[in-house]
Amino acid sequence: MIEIDNVAKAFGRDRGVQAVDGVSFAAADGEITGLLGPNGAGKTTLLRMLATLMIPDSGTARVDGNDVVRERYAVRRKIGVLSDARGLYPRLTARENIRYFGALQGLSEPILAARIDELIDALAISDIADRRVHGFSQGERMKVAIARALVHDPQTILLDEPTNGLDIMSIRALRDLLRTLETQGKCLLFSSHVMQEVSALCRRIVILGRGKVVAIGTAAELLARSGERTLEDAFVRLLGSGEGLAA
Amino acid sequence: MERAARTDSAAARIAAVARKEAIDIFRDRRAILVTLVTAIVAGPVMMLLVLNLVARQADRVREMTLPVAGSEHAPALVAFLERQQVTLTPAPADFEDRVRRGDLDVVLEIDKDFAADVAKGKSGTVHLVFDRSRDRARASIAEAEALLRAYNREWGRGRLLLRGVAGEVANPLNVESRDLATPQSSGALVLFLIAFYGLFAAVMGGMAAALDTTAGERERASLEPLLTTPVAPLELATGKWLAVVALDAAAVVLTLTGFYLVLRFAPLPAVGIPFLFGLRELGRFVVALVPLMLLMPAVLLYVGTRGRSFKEAQSNLSVLLFAISLVPIVQMFLQRKDPPWLTWIPISGQYALLSRALRGEALQFVELAQSYVGPALLTAVALVAVARLFSRESILAGK
Repeated sequence: MIEIDNVAKAFGRDRGVQAVDGVSFAAADGEITGLLGPNGAGKTTLLRMLATLMIPDSGTARVDGNDVVRERYAVRRKIGVLSDARGLYPRLTARENIRYFGALQGLSEPILAARIDELIDALAISDIADRRVHGFSQGERMKVAIARALVHDPQTILLDEPTNGLDIMSIRALRDLLRTLETQGKCLLFSSHVMQEVSALCRRIVILGRGKVVAIGTAAELLARSGERTLEDAFVRLLGSGEGLAA
Repeated sequence: MERAARTDSAAARIAAVARKEAIDIFRDRRAILVTLVTAIVAGPVMMLLVLNLVARQADRVREMTLPVAGSEHAPALVAFLERQQVTLTPAPADFEDRVRRGDLDVVLEIDKDFAADVAKGKSGTVHLVFDRSRDRARASIAEAEALLRAYNREWGRGRLLLRGVAGEVANPLNVESRDLATPQSSGALVLFLIAFYGLFAAVMGGMAAALDTTAGERERASLEPLLTTPVAPLELATGKWLAVVALDAAAVVLTLTGFYLVLRFAPLPAVGIPFLFGLRELGRFVVALVPLMLLMPAVLLYVGTRGRSFKEAQSNLSVLLFAISLVPIVQMFLQRKDPPWLTWIPISGQYALLSRALRGEALQFVELAQSYVGPALLTAVALVAVARLFSRESILAGK
C-alpha cells in the first residue's frame, strides 16, 4: 500500500526546476498501478522518493504506513526496487548478485539459498545462474535485477521503466511475472512512458505531466473523461499537448 | 516468508558488503595486476639495480686504476701510489676529451717542471683532471684526492724531520674520523628504497580497488539499487573500507616479503654493506605501517566517491598521491634529525619509524602509539565523510 500526499520536489539552482509538483495518489495492494507520463514528467523522481533515495521538499509519502523519510529503513525492508539503471555487478554471478541484496535485507543462509533457487526457477534463469553477469543480454540482466529486487519477498514493488530495452519475449515474461505478483496480493507501481505497456498491464493508471497528476482512473474512465476513442488520443488530450509521446 | 527469518544486524550487513567487495576485488584483473606488479616487481627489482650500482662503485674504489700523464717527472710520487696498491697506466694523449666523454673517471697529470720546481724549493704541481658532475666518478675522484693529500703529508713530514722538527708542528690538528653508523645504518640509499616502497605499497595498494568500488559503482549505476536496501551509508562505507584495507595490507606484506626474499636469496653482488632486512625488520615495518593501511583506503574511498567516473576519480587522486610521495623525499633531503613531534604526523611519522626500524632500532611503544593517533582519527573522519557522500541525493546523478 502506497499513499502519496501532496509531494513536491525541485532541483537545480535556486530549486528552479519543479520535477514533482504536489502529487497525491494511492496504490492499493493486489493491484498494478501504472505511472504513465512523457520523459521528464517526474516519474523517476517520484519513485526515488518512494524508494527513500530522495527526500520530498514538502508533502508526505507512506509505504504500508511507514513514512519514507522518518522511517526510511523500515520502508527499505518492505520495498523491492527495479530502478531504471539495472546496476548489476559484472564480475559477480547472477546468483551472487541476488545473494548480496538478500544478505543486506537480513536473510540468512540457508533460507536465502532456498529463496534464490526459488526465484531462479520462477524466472527460468537456471542456465545462467552461475555465470558472471558480464556479457548478459538486456533480458537476462532484467531478470537478474528482478530476482534481486524480489529476494526478500517485498510487499511493495517499484518498477521504473522495466521494459526499456527488452525484446518482446522478455516483455511478455515480465508481464506474466508481474500478474502473478498481483494475484499474490502485492502492491506494484509500474512506471512507463509507453502507453501500450501500461494499458496492457495496469488496472489503474496515473498520468503524470510536468510534475503534476493529470488524471487518475481505469483505462475506460480515462477514455470517457477525455472523450477520445483511443487511449493514445486520450493520453495526448489529457496532457494538453502532443509532447514527448513514444509508442 | 516468516518475519523471524530476517535479522536486522548492522554487523551482518557490514560483513555482507565486505565479503561481496572482497570477491569483486579479487576478480578484478586490473586491480590485482596493478597491485601485484607495483608490489612485487617494482620494489625488489629497483633494489637489485641499486645494489648492483653500489657494488660497481665500491669495486671502482677497491681496484683503483689511475691513468698518469708524465709519470717520469715524479718517480717518488709514482712509487708512493704503487705502494698504495693503485694500478697506474699511461694516460692517453687525448685524456681530457675522454674524461669529458666519461670514458675516464679521473686522470693525474704531472707537470713537466715538477722535478725542477721541487729542486728550487718550490711546490711541485700536479693536475687532477676530472668531471665532478659525473655521479659514478665521484668515488674515484675522492679516492685520488685522498691519495694525493696523503702523499703531501708524508713528504712534508719527511722534510720537517730532516730539519729536526716533529711532524706534529705542521699538523697541530689531528682529525680522526669515527663512523658511528651501525652496520644497518650504512647504505642509506638502499634503506631509503625499502622504506619508500613499503610506504608506497601502503599508500597505493588499495587504490585501484578503492576507485572501482566507489567511482566504479557510480559509473555502473549500481549504487542506486544498493541504496534502496536497508544498508546504512556508514555501514556501506565501513564494509567497503574493510575489503580495501585487506587488499592494502596484502600489498604491503607482499612488497616487504619481496624485499626480504631478494635480499636473502638473490645472488647479490658484494656490496660491502653488512645490511640487514630480516623477518624482525619485516614485522616492525608492518607494525609501523598499520596506521597507513587503515587511513589510506578511507582517503581513497573518499576521493573515489567524489568522482562520477573512474577517470574523474583517478585525476583527482593523482594530485593527492603526488603530494604524499613528496613527503619521504623531502624528509631524506632535509637530512636533519627528526623533530620529536614528527611521529604524530601521518606519512612523515610512518616514514620516520620505518627509517628507525631499518637502522636496527626497536620501535618504542610511545612513538608507535603517537603515530597511530592521527591516522586513526583521520580514518574515522574520512569514513564519516564517505557515508555523508553516500547519503547525498546528488550521488545518484551519475553519468
